[in-house]
Amino acid sequence: MATLELKGLTKRFGAFTAVDGMDLLVAQGEMIALLGGSGCGKTTTLRMIAGFTEPSEGTILVDGTDVGRIPPYKRNIGIFFQNYALFPHMTVFENVAFGLKLQKCPKGEISRRVEEILTLVKLTGLDRRYPRELSGGQQQRVALARALVTRPSILLLDEPLSNLDAKLRLEMQVEIKRIQRELGITTIIVTHDHEEAVSLADRVIVMNEGRILQIGTPQEIFDRPASPFVADFMGFSTFLHGRAGGPPREGKRPILCGERTLWVAQAAAEELGSDEECLLAIRSENMALAGEPGENVFPGRVESMTYKGHTTRLEVSGCFDEPVFPALREIPGSKEGDEVLVHFPCQKICVYKAENN
Amino acid sequence: MDDRRVNWLCRVVAGLVIIFLVAPLAVIVIASFTPTALITFPPQGFSLKWYANVFQGSTHFMEGLANSLKLGLIATGIDVFLGVFAALSVCRYDFKGKNALLNYFTSPMYVPSVAFAFVLLQVYSQIGGVPGMARLLIGHLVIILPYIVRNTVSVLHVFNWTLEDAATSLGAGPAQVFFRITLPLAKPGVLAGALLAFLYSFDEVALSSLLSTPRFVTLPIRIMNYMELTFDPTLAAISTLLIVASLVLILLMERFVGLDMFVK
Repeated sequence: MATLELKGLTKRFGAFTAVDGMDLLVAQGEMIALLGGSGCGKTTTLRMIAGFTEPSEGTILVDGTDVGRIPPYKRNIGIFFQNYALFPHMTVFENVAFGLKLQKCPKGEISRRVEEILTLVKLTGLDRRYPRELSGGQQQRVALARALVTRPSILLLDEPLSNLDAKLRLEMQVEIKRIQRELGITTIIVTHDHEEAVSLADRVIVMNEGRILQIGTPQEIFDRPASPFVADFMGFSTFLHGRAGGPPREGKRPILCGERTLWVAQAAAEELGSDEECLLAIRSENMALAGEPGENVFPGRVESMTYKGHTTRLEVSGCFDEPVFPALREIPGSKEGDEVLVHFPCQKICVYKAENN
Repeated sequence: MDDRRVNWLCRVVAGLVIIFLVAPLAVIVIASFTPTALITFPPQGFSLKWYANVFQGSTHFMEGLANSLKLGLIATGIDVFLGVFAALSVCRYDFKGKNALLNYFTSPMYVPSVAFAFVLLQVYSQIGGVPGMARLLIGHLVIILPYIVRNTVSVLHVFNWTLEDAATSLGAGPAQVFFRITLPLAKPGVLAGALLAFLYSFDEVALSSLLSTPRFVTLPIRIMNYMELTFDPTLAAISTLLIVASLVLILLMERFVGLDMFVK
């Protein structure tokens, strides 16, 4: 239960800067996700908070106190490791009790607290098993219980859902959130998976090359990425080059994409000067097939169709110079090679200045 | 050739190899029970008198055994300490020349022990007055170290170092991490290495024969000396006892560690 503050946190490995002047304030009980691809500096940040890696510059404050000189084994930070890192030579009970034994807790209290935490992660009755005798999901719960039982001031989760199958992911997602709420523990998740980030966190921090690109609620990051890079990372599939054209009308602005005019929300295109080059991004699920021509409806040809279970993803060419990739909830009647009309809802289009690209 | 014939051929070859390995030992074991003064096979009659002879003070075998055990245990004990830390330093940290360092630690395996003994002999004669036990101990410390380093490295090579981070985050200081996590998990390799090292020290002849003094003689050297003067079935009896002792040791290891450690 603590606040965490990073001030100008920087880590260099030789000439390579892994984390570059990172500033961040995490409120008590907040759940934050550090999101980025491999090498973006998220893991280095996590290791610096844990104390395994020494920052080159900057400070880490827990509850306002600089923890830079405190060794990792005295920081009282719980860590959930991606590969769980359960001690293979210890039973579930011994794994969970490890931290408490080091704290010299009396025996009675150890068994009481272990039992308590195993109940919380729904793992009662398995305390005499060894990690190798557990399923992946159970191992993960043990790892979580072990990280939580010592009542750490901050909890760090490294790719908590990445090793699980789809069904278990959903289950654990709910579990982790429930447990985090119940304990009110300040939590930082490190992940490369935007779904994991938006489903768990109160705030998402998108990182690239050691820098923060955007901080926002999952909704903000998901719907209004701050840059084309973030949009790409958040799963935006369709990117169109265009140029601002004509005066705004009814809160919308026209963008010229080749020979076509696409209307976007004026609020989204506020920063765009007249005639300025721009890049538009739109999410697959936000495009739809239209029955008849209209505003922001353009004809194109279906190049390919990929059935994805709950959606069908099309590749449509001819609407613009670039192909577009609508994802449809219902299986369309059309097939490959058919002419279709695609609707681009103007409120769902993100607009970026071209030089941001 | 079809599979059946290959299979058949394999069995024959395997059988021959086993016979080749076991037959001489079997001959020794059986011959040790002969009542005759010379080793004969098959033995004429049955007697345990040569076994009794092994334990007689006049043969000095027990004295040699005590020396060998003392030497082997002390050398192995010191080398477990040195070898485990050598292996840890090579495996845990990434640095330039770590492979060269590992090869250096294991190089005594490839240097002829006679050459090494000769060098040590020179050094001892320069210093003068080095006691017999120390003369052998220093030599054995060097030549058995590779077995401990290599076996420990083979375990640490696939060690999940995140476990150390996990223990650290739970409040374990460096020493606690080592004794509660790293060492227990590396134990199979350390024990296997220690056993091999001990057996090597216990069995060592070349180096010991050059370095030992009349006042400190190990069992293999004692057996060799005995062989030069007398060639009676006492030798078969003590060989049999050593075979049995090795078997017991291996079985104990198999029970506690698992033999697959040795195959790596």
